[in-house]
Amino acid sequence: MSGFSKSPWIIHYDASSCNGCDIEVLACLTPIFDVERLGVVNTGNPKHADIFLVTGAVNEQSKDVIRNIYNEMPEPKVVVAVGTCAASGGIFRECYNISGGVDSVIPVDVYVPGCAARPEAIVDGVVQALKVLEQKHQDMKAVPQNTDQTLYLRAEKSDAPEILALQKNAGQCEAEIYNDENLPALQQTLEELQNDFDRAIYIKAVINDKIIGSVRGQAHEDTAYVSGVVVHPYYQRHDIGRQLVEEIEKAFPNAKRFEAFTGRPNVRALHLLGRAGYQEFTTEPFTPAITWVYLQKERQ
Amino acid sequence: MSSWIRILIYLAAAPIVGGLLAGWDRRISARMQSRRGPPIRQPFYDVQKLWSKQNLVVRRSQNFYIVFFLLLVIFTGALFFGGSDLLLVIFALTLAAIFFVLGAYKASSPYSFIGAERELIQMMAYEPMILLTAIGMYMVTKSFAVNEIASHSTLLVLTLPGIFLGFLYTLEIKFRKSPFDLSCSHHAHQELVRGITTEFSGRTLALIEIAHWYESVFLLGWVYLFFASMPVLGVVMSLLVFVFVILVDNVFARLKWQTAIRSAWVVAAVLGFGNILVLSLLSAKPAIPAAPAAGAVTKPAASETVPAGAAMPGWNNAKAIARRN
Repeated sequence: MSGFSKSPWIIHYDASSCNGCDIEVLACLTPIFDVERLGVVNTGNPKHADIFLVTGAVNEQSKDVIRNIYNEMPEPKVVVAVGTCAASGGIFRECYNISGGVDSVIPVDVYVPGCAARPEAIVDGVVQALKVLEQKHQDMKAVPQNTDQTLYLRAEKSDAPEILALQKNAGQCEAEIYNDENLPALQQTLEELQNDFDRAIYIKAVINDKIIGSVRGQAHEDTAYVSGVVVHPYYQRHDIGRQLVEEIEKAFPNAKRFEAFTGRPNVRALHLLGRAGYQEFTTEPFTPAITWVYLQKERQ
Repeated sequence: MSSWIRILIYLAAAPIVGGLLAGWDRRISARMQSRRGPPIRQPFYDVQKLWSKQNLVVRRSQNFYIVFFLLLVIFTGALFFGGSDLLLVIFALTLAAIFFVLGAYKASSPYSFIGAERELIQMMAYEPMILLTAIGMYMVTKSFAVNEIASHSTLLVLTLPGIFLGFLYTLEIKFRKSPFDLSCSHHAHQELVRGITTEFSGRTLALIEIAHWYESVFLLGWVYLFFASMPVLGVVMSLLVFVFVILVDNVFARLKWQTAIRSAWVVAAVLGFGNILVLSLLSAKPAIPAAPAAGAVTKPAASETVPAGAAMPGWNNAKAIARRN
């Protein structure tokens, strides 16, 4: 018993809603529905919150705010998209400044349908979110015990959806480091990733049948290009990234040289590649804030 | 009961009692707003959850200050329930609050800064009245030691009605309730995000909650001191005062900080200082009977001007002093 299911604190953000769903969210706090009897507190502070309720479709203005609030929330956290617009973009989906539902920016755990979503549905969504929250807490707690049971396997095309979800989740940290959401890992679609499987090799790190890390490798002449090292945020700092790099090197027995690249502000990635034996050989300015660093390693 | 046993009971029981008080607070507030409200044990669930959350910090040292805030709040209560000097208790209480403010300043966020500044303003608002309370108690009992004040034979509230009302006013500030929930609020007022606690999360926030539990028990203990000669009445009155604070919280909107500090000082000057002035006038007289002529002139005048209820215990007290002299 961790108390998560008894004390969910909520932060509510209106992305670009017509206010219909927001009124219904606030209606949940009124005497009729009174979600406080379930221990719910409407905090207004991301650092105190467990559940992120978002209403409305995501537009260019609210994108950064949503990502910011999400990044400021301490783990474990759950995102609930309230209403049709938050789930898919709704009738605004094709608008020029709308990027779609909330899941186009951050990973969403629970979708509450409705236009406007009824308070009963929102309360139900929160109750569903509690289960996810409890599950995430269990996963977090289990991390130190099972990192040594990690399996490193060749990924198949059918793993693409799970790897994509992982990329989006782990990519949040990277987007925060670079202060840029146009990273390839966040922009990639499922189709692009599936096509990528024909050209490149993917290695996945698996714990309890769940993919918690992946890496991509592609050979060109004598060189193998290593890229896309992602590890689920709960499992970072457990040496899984380095072992993924080692495994992908084994997958290219004929390669004489390995090459990887990352951005200058991403200290953690540079450190990871350094420990795997990679050395910097050239840099290339990308934006004023980001410099691409190219690293290489000869096979001994 | 020796003071060490009292301290041990305080250390063990205060978090439980304080947590239950916080639970009742939320329940009673909900009922006043015709809602069902959370279970009484809700604050414990909250702290349990916060304990297993990730602890995000701006600077690591901010958590260090909060640990000291908790330790000093516990120390304050231990001094109080151990029967130590009331002035030392006030000093420790102020120091604890200062550590809280320092922690919030360390986090360099505008919301946390405003919360910290308002906390300082609140301290300026309640400090004079708290000091006057200690002085008033000293004037009646001739001691600053809590155990001597507690074992005093008269009901302090009868001689210190003004000070008691003034102390109630500061309690509203100390409990961080409307109309004085300026620095941080337990309710859904969100213009400051969460004020002074904005940048604290996870275990640190849990420590702040626990510190508040200790603090509430200590403050209600001080209310008890006004009724210490009748213990049952004291406990009942402490709980009634707590309900009163919740009622005020639900009835009033928030005040501006200027109004808060001004009104708190006016209350301290009129009720607190006025009460002390009356006391000092009363206790000045019995010293005079050595010179009978002067005593004969002042005595009737005093009994006419001072209301009977307030004068009598003070008069007894004054006689006791005269006897001691």
